[in-house]
Amino acid sequence: MEVLTPRSLDEALRLKSENPQAVPIAGGTDLMVAINFDRIRPNAVLNLNEVPELRGWSRANGTLRLGAGLTYAEAMREPLAGLLPALAEASRTVGSPQIRNRGTIGGNLGTSSPAGDALPPLLVAGADVVLASVRGERRVALGEFVVGPKRNALAEDELVTAVELEPASAAETFMKVGPRNAMVIAVVSLALRAGEELRAAFGSAGPVPILVRAPRDDADAFPERVAEAAAPIDDVRGTAAYRRHALRVLTRRALDRCLA
Amino acid sequence: MLHAAVVRSPHAHARVRALDLSRAREAPGVRAVLAPGDCDALDETAEFEGRAVVAVAAETFGQARAAAELVEVEWEELEPLLDPEEAVRRGSLVGEPRRYERGGYERGLAEADAVVEAEYRTQTLNHNPLETHQCVCEWRGDGLDVYISTQYIWGVRDDVAAAFGLPPDKVRVICEYMGGGFGAKNGAGGYVTLAAELARRSGRPVRLALTRREENVGGGNRNATIQRVTAAAKADGTLTALGGEFICSLGWGGWLASTAGPMQLLHACENVRTVEYGAKLNLPAMAAFRAPGFVEGTWALECLLDKLAAELGLDPLELRRRNYANVDTMDGRPYSAKELLECYRRAEPHWERRHEVRARSDATWKRGVGLASQIWYGGGGPPSYAWVRVGSDGRANVVTAMQDIGTGTRTAMAQIAAEELGIRLERVQVQVGDSSRGPFASISGGSSTLPSMGPAVRAAAADAARQILEIAEQRFEREDGTLSLRGGEIVSPDGTTWPLEEITGLLEDGQILGKGARGPNPAGMRVLTFGVQVAEVAVDVETGEVVVERIYAVHDVGRVINPLGARSQIEGGIIQAMGHTFSEARLDDPHRGTVLTKTLDAYKLPTIADVPEIVCELIDKPDAQLTNLGSKGLGEPPIIPTAAAIANAIRDATGADVTSLPITREEILAALREARERERVGAPSA
Ligand SMILES: Cc1cc2nc3c(=O)[nH]c(=O)nc-3n(C[C@H](O)[C@H](O)[C@H](O)COP(=O)(O)OP(=O)(O)OC[C@H]3O[C@@H](n4cnc5c(N)ncnc54)[C@H](O)[C@@H]3O)c2cc1C
Repeated sequence: MEVLTPRSLDEALRLKSENPQAVPIAGGTDLMVAINFDRIRPNAVLNLNEVPELRGWSRANGTLRLGAGLTYAEAMREPLAGLLPALAEASRTVGSPQIRNRGTIGGNLGTSSPAGDALPPLLVAGADVVLASVRGERRVALGEFVVGPKRNALAEDELVTAVELEPASAAETFMKVGPRNAMVIAVVSLALRAGEELRAAFGSAGPVPILVRAPRDDADAFPERVAEAAAPIDDVRGTAAYRRHALRVLTRRALDRCLA
Repeated sequence: MLHAAVVRSPHAHARVRALDLSRAREAPGVRAVLAPGDCDALDETAEFEGRAVVAVAAETFGQARAAAELVEVEWEELEPLLDPEEAVRRGSLVGEPRRYERGGYERGLAEADAVVEAEYRTQTLNHNPLETHQCVCEWRGDGLDVYISTQYIWGVRDDVAAAFGLPPDKVRVICEYMGGGFGAKNGAGGYVTLAAELARRSGRPVRLALTRREENVGGGNRNATIQRVTAAAKADGTLTALGGEFICSLGWGGWLASTAGPMQLLHACENVRTVEYGAKLNLPAMAAFRAPGFVEGTWALECLLDKLAAELGLDPLELRRRNYANVDTMDGRPYSAKELLECYRRAEPHWERRHEVRARSDATWKRGVGLASQIWYGGGGPPSYAWVRVGSDGRANVVTAMQDIGTGTRTAMAQIAAEELGIRLERVQVQVGDSSRGPFASISGGSSTLPSMGPAVRAAAADAARQILEIAEQRFEREDGTLSLRGGEIVSPDGTTWPLEEITGLLEDGQILGKGARGPNPAGMRVLTFGVQVAEVAVDVETGEVVVERIYAVHDVGRVINPLGARSQIEGGIIQAMGHTFSEARLDDPHRGTVLTKTLDAYKLPTIADVPEIVCELIDKPDAQLTNLGSKGLGEPPIIPTAAAIANAIRDATGADVTSLPITREEILAALREARERERVGAPSA
């Protein structure tokens, strides 16, 4: 297996366009599992860990820009945690300390799992995904970026470089249900931001994470609306009926917490 | 050293139609290939997933695995038998059904004021020790050295010697340290035979280590059960009848552990009838797993008792006290010692907390307290031997061919020898783990390590002490039997002391050699361990989440040798039980009979975030009838009552009856619905 290690974003984009089959690797916490399970056998990987442009986060004109290489551990740290509390809460529920040190937001987007825990908080924050290639840069709303279970809008020469989003101006929170208290794939997860508009997004209750909006005045009917928007399935982690039920309960609790 | 990989059946039931080894034999690095006919551990018929068909040894593990993938097997798939009830109907059983009856069961039912019945289920559980089953086999002349992760080096010696037709002592078994067993490593197993045969054919040492996936299929398991149980009592709580039908899904082998044991032994009841079936299925065989049978049986029995208490309107602790057994329930023998009443007494303040705990409930979080008692063996027994060597420097060496499976055995043995010789712990060294470097020693299973080995070590140390004192009495011209060893000195009743080295120093290169054997258990007595656990839970009645907030555990295992080690056993047992109660389950494909949960990603062991507050207490009263030590084992007791205590707490908090493990959120919600329904129609819970 060939390992390509670019030292700048330009070099990374050039290598990706020259080797479209090269699979990007950031923290490797999804990719190495897939290799270990023999689900994929890449003949080349593109190591993004030495690309400085992908690291960290910044703020300009009120918009936050999170580098694709931002780790969960970094998202849990102030001052970012105060700007995006739901993302920080979600990050705290991810895996274990080792996974939170290695795993990145960009990797969660790259995987595009319906259970990806970063996705609901990013959705309620109105995130755009920034995609780049040697052809240039484009922005795609997160809701359009994830197109199916583990499928997304990345072209074969593109990389995720960042997400852009609004910091929380209103109360927001994140909740997750799992069969044990750590190291779990969500049975169902929920992020809620309660501003002028109510926004809820959930994971593990449909083929893709889904965003539901309503005017603040409709808070009473909101839990039911969120539950109805779900398209859950029965699997080893839980039944569809339970997932819908739990979403209703979590939404009401999240509203209680945020509107209190 | 070569590394081995094994080709295994991917089907629960299948026959090899054609086998082509030619590409595997030619693969790089391959030094030996075994096929059915070459070794008893390989077979052309697979009656369960993971049955070994071909084994390969190569220079690296990667090469061995690559060669294994080149083995071409054409399978003819056969219909698997997977349903335990169907197996019982068809008579597909491991061994005969086991029936037990005392008194008159029907009469007991007729005399009762209340009868409760229920069906309880438990899941298949994997041991998943962090170190998988593994060994290195190396032939030396006509003898074989086996380095292995095991709970019983002598059992491995005998198994391997029998497999190769060797005199037992031609096989040397070495286990210095190991990474857990929980009962799955009590013997050699086919993988050792494969490694030894590959080593024999290649003339090289061979390592065979199960992968995590292999471990999760064929490493052994705690079998699933279906338990249909009945309890009947008078209005005052006196039990008049206990009965049960127990169907145990053993898989294609193993043995029928006593799931009815707790029902037969724990509470006084004259009329008991049980029948146990070991369903033989096309699934991997069970293996002993930390109190096999009793963990599953106690879950059903102790939940049923609380159901009965609710029916009678009696306090669950009081109900247990009213049915306290003063002599063995099966044959009337006296107990060598029994402090279960004392356990109940000490549990009382923790049980009393239920009023305050319940009062902390709110609309969503309902809180409650539950308890369950425990009974188990754990007295150990003969034979076991130890030697204690004291050199001229006054230091002691305990030599015995036992194994330390991570329970602190070395420390405990050193403590026992140090106490007997009156020297500091640091001056005792313990040598274990090699069948050719020490006398026969007990298995580390059945909570028997300490009660079997401790007395032998103590006897050996006493023998050494006696010899030292005899020399001292001659040397210092004292009467026989007047001197003793204390604080590193030889002490006379008149207050005179001499440093121990004053006598041992005379030895120069000579040594004092003490020998000790484990004596018999007390004749005509029943030796058992007892305990009680009290669980406090909070149940989210909207989502079905259960948070175990606190578990109090009190156990009676006679004299405690190492308090910290004992506490670790209690904590470890409860943590493992947390997994058994809430998150662990081996899932099988319902049609194909193949294991779906082959990794630790899918098979969910508890994490540190799932551990409740654990409060431990030990009665710590030596069993005066039992050996020169008065100690029983504690490896198994703490895992036994936890699940039932938790389920009883859930009932206390919400009225919901949970009947199957693991307890999932959906089951809680369903049980809550049923409880509400019962309340609405005002029907009795039976
Ligand atoms: C033990 C364990 C526990 C876990 N727990 C959780 C959990 O609780 N919640 C959760 O959501 N996830 C969990 N995960 C999954 C994983 O940690 C997350 O999805 C994480 O965000 C992946 O990030 P990464 O940097 O490690 O991605 P990688 O594995 O490096 O990459 C993941 C995918 O994204 C692609 N990719 C990575 N970076 C880019 C980029 N810049 N542009 C384009 N494509 C890219 C890769 O090619 C790959 O397809 C867990 C994983 C493990 C092993």
